Amino acid sequence: MSAYILETRDLALAYGGFRAVDGVSLRVKAGTIHSVIGPNGAGKTSLFHCLTGGRKPTEGDIVFDGRDVTRRPAHARVGIGMARSFQVTSLFQNLSVRENLRLASQGRDGDRALAFWRPVSAGRAHLERADRIMERLNLSARANAAAGDLSHGQQRVLEVGMALCGEPKLLLLDEPTSGMGIDDIPVMTKLIADLGRDHTVMLIEHNMGIVMSISDTVTVMSRGKVLVEGRPDAVRADERVRAAYLGEAG
Amino acid sequence: MLNLYLFQILNGLGLGMIYFLISVGLTIIFGLLNFVNFAHGAFFMLGCYLCYALLAATGQFWLALLAGPLAVAALAWGAEKLLIRRVYHLPHTFHILITVGVALILQESAIMIWGPIGKSIPIPEALQGVVAMGKFAYPKYRLFLIGFSAVIGFLLWLLLERTRFGALVRAGSESTEMVSLLGADIYKLFSLTFALGVGLAGLAGVLSGPIRGAHPFLGPEVLGIAFVVVVIGGMGSFGGALAGGLLIGLVQSLMTTIWPEGASLMIYGAMAAVILWRPYGLFGRA
Amino acid sequence: MVPLPKGVWGGTTPAVLAILALLPVAVPSATLATEILIFAMAALACNLLLGYGGLLSFGQGLFFGVGSYLAALAMIHLEVGLVAALAIAVAAGAAVATAVGWLAIRRTGIYFVMLTLALAQMGYFLAYTLSKWTGGDNGLLDVPRPPLALFGVELASLDGAYAYYAFVAVLFLAVYVGARRVIDSPFGSTLVAIRENEARAAAVGFDTRHFKMLAFTLSGAVTALAGALYAMLINYVPLDNVAIAMSEHIVIMTIIGGTGSLLGSLLGAGTLVLVGEVLSAIWPRWPLLLGVGLILLVMFLRRGLWGGVESLIARYRRRGEAAE
Repeated sequence: MSAYILETRDLALAYGGFRAVDGVSLRVKAGTIHSVIGPNGAGKTSLFHCLTGGRKPTEGDIVFDGRDVTRRPAHARVGIGMARSFQVTSLFQNLSVRENLRLASQGRDGDRALAFWRPVSAGRAHLERADRIMERLNLSARANAAAGDLSHGQQRVLEVGMALCGEPKLLLLDEPTSGMGIDDIPVMTKLIADLGRDHTVMLIEHNMGIVMSISDTVTVMSRGKVLVEGRPDAVRADERVRAAYLGEAG
Repeated sequence: MLNLYLFQILNGLGLGMIYFLISVGLTIIFGLLNFVNFAHGAFFMLGCYLCYALLAATGQFWLALLAGPLAVAALAWGAEKLLIRRVYHLPHTFHILITVGVALILQESAIMIWGPIGKSIPIPEALQGVVAMGKFAYPKYRLFLIGFSAVIGFLLWLLLERTRFGALVRAGSESTEMVSLLGADIYKLFSLTFALGVGLAGLAGVLSGPIRGAHPFLGPEVLGIAFVVVVIGGMGSFGGALAGGLLIGLVQSLMTTIWPEGASLMIYGAMAAVILWRPYGLFGRA
Repeated sequence: MVPLPKGVWGGTTPAVLAILALLPVAVPSATLATEILIFAMAALACNLLLGYGGLLSFGQGLFFGVGSYLAALAMIHLEVGLVAALAIAVAAGAAVATAVGWLAIRRTGIYFVMLTLALAQMGYFLAYTLSKWTGGDNGLLDVPRPPLALFGVELASLDGAYAYYAFVAVLFLAVYVGARRVIDSPFGSTLVAIRENEARAAAVGFDTRHFKMLAFTLSGAVTALAGALYAMLINYVPLDNVAIAMSEHIVIMTIIGGTGSLLGSLLGAGTLVLVGEVLSAIWPRWPLLLGVGLILLVMFLRRGLWGGVESLIARYRRRGEAAE
């Protein structure tokens, strides 16, 4: 068994002539928090789409937990232990917080939820998992509120919680702090650090400050390629990273 | 034998151009307004009856060809002002429901005015008879139909591609805010586009009148065909409507020689085949 | 939010039982009461797709027609009994609906709706083309209504209008209770999730196509059952049973009643069948008024009759609370 839970080999995603992801080889070590950062247009989101099954890469492979998942559709990645959050909050807005999490737990079993003759209440394990995760997210007080009625910060937390319900080996988080107010960001940072203790987390972030405190490894992307990879302090000190970010600012 | 096929191919072109006119109207409306007009077939049916009524009253086909579509467009313009614009912001289900309501009203009104049994419409005198090309002879009216609708199609293309109105419609398909930024009255543009799209269905109705006659229950059938065309060609696409319309017209026409009872069935068979082969239509992308 | 029902026999089921008992005396004839239940069944099946799955299908008329034709043909040519004829109809309806669903869900949104309508038209022309079997424009005549028999033992004749009503009422109750179970199942809750946010439903692990297809299968089975019962009610299968107008009819009933509530479907079917019966006797052009009614519904009563009833109850309750 390899120590790496996720590996990409020369991954590329081209839109016509434009190579949004251009030969990326990444290795995510099990049990770590691995962040991918980079300025706007660096290809982070496109890389994320390939990893979650939203887009089929035009070249290269993705190996997860010893399996080639390059062409596996999004929904079929959950069952083997990959789960994701969305950059733009994507919940079941009109359903309760508890039902959101219960559905997410049920999703892990895929087609077994086709059982139309069985009452929902028979799926005790899903309900219990939903309640457990609700507790961990500090959302139990809002269990019966519609997801759409939560505060923005709570919705972002629930967004991450949805991924957690799949009991994943790898959590793929797409800019979890995106759109969050300055007061909420520390809550999210703490939550991710906490999740990192019992999950492998791959984090896509735009904001360099957040990832530096919690990541074990940081990969910096620029123009579709890996620019630098290493421990946070090393990356922070790297001239090329500064240049890439300054380039964006200029 | 070869002549028979040539004959059917020309028939298919004529039929295809009718389907094109219907579908391009549907498609223009959808493109700009994101609105699905389930009354489109009923407006076509009204066009057929106006052709009948105007011919019966005046004997002037040219008048019917001009006034029929304009009357249908005017009616659509009124319906847009009165009803349709109130539901743009609602989900598609309500667009469908309200236009199904309009279609029922049109269909029942047609029965009230012209009776439940269809009317046949005479071919205008000037276009009776055949054009002979050597051993091959083809009805004048059908030839006129192909030529006339091609001219209309070309004018429509010019309107959409070469005028300010067309630019606004195309801009509006991308983003309605853009139209407002360009300083145009978006509501006026919506009314005009709806009237134009429906007027094209009315024109198709008038043109097909002398071939197929008028019948109060034509609406749903025509709507079904228009849907087939846009599923194949893609919504909001001029070229798609043309290619889809011609393809379906030719399939139906050629099948008439091989299996007359199944000709209509094959239209839908063709659609199912296209969907299996390319789910997003001939020109569509995922 | 959709409240979870308390067991399939609680909640609204007693109300349905009461309606079933009162319907044949409340409306002019048992035949009319039977017709209401048959269309309520079809509306219920449409509601599963539309109200819960968010799938607006104009293929319902096709499933209804398939049930009508297959049950009738099986009884006429294979001389099968009642139960077998209904079973054949249900199986055929489920199969056709699965096929239509499989094709139509390749697209979403408005293309999906158009595809269901076009595929239903395909069925219409197929029935028209196979006139040797279906009678084409003239319809399929002399459809029998065999007695209720199990394993060759005749249990009851259904010739009487009330006897047939009772039989249909029992089936309706079974469908109603079954539908409530489906809605309260992992499948039903996932269907709602897909309606709410398909991308998220896929992201948490559901293959949404499978769920949509099963919704079609179940909806088609029930709609075909309704179609078969209708053929036996009027002893005839008109070509109109597979026409777009039939699809529209079923969809309209469902929406008039109110989507997302099973009782609404019964209300919608009851209203439309009764109003049609009364008005068509006075004025054959009554569908014109239906058209006007649809426009008014879109303008003023978007949640349907059941939604209207619910807001009335809510208002009444608020007033009661204020008075206390």
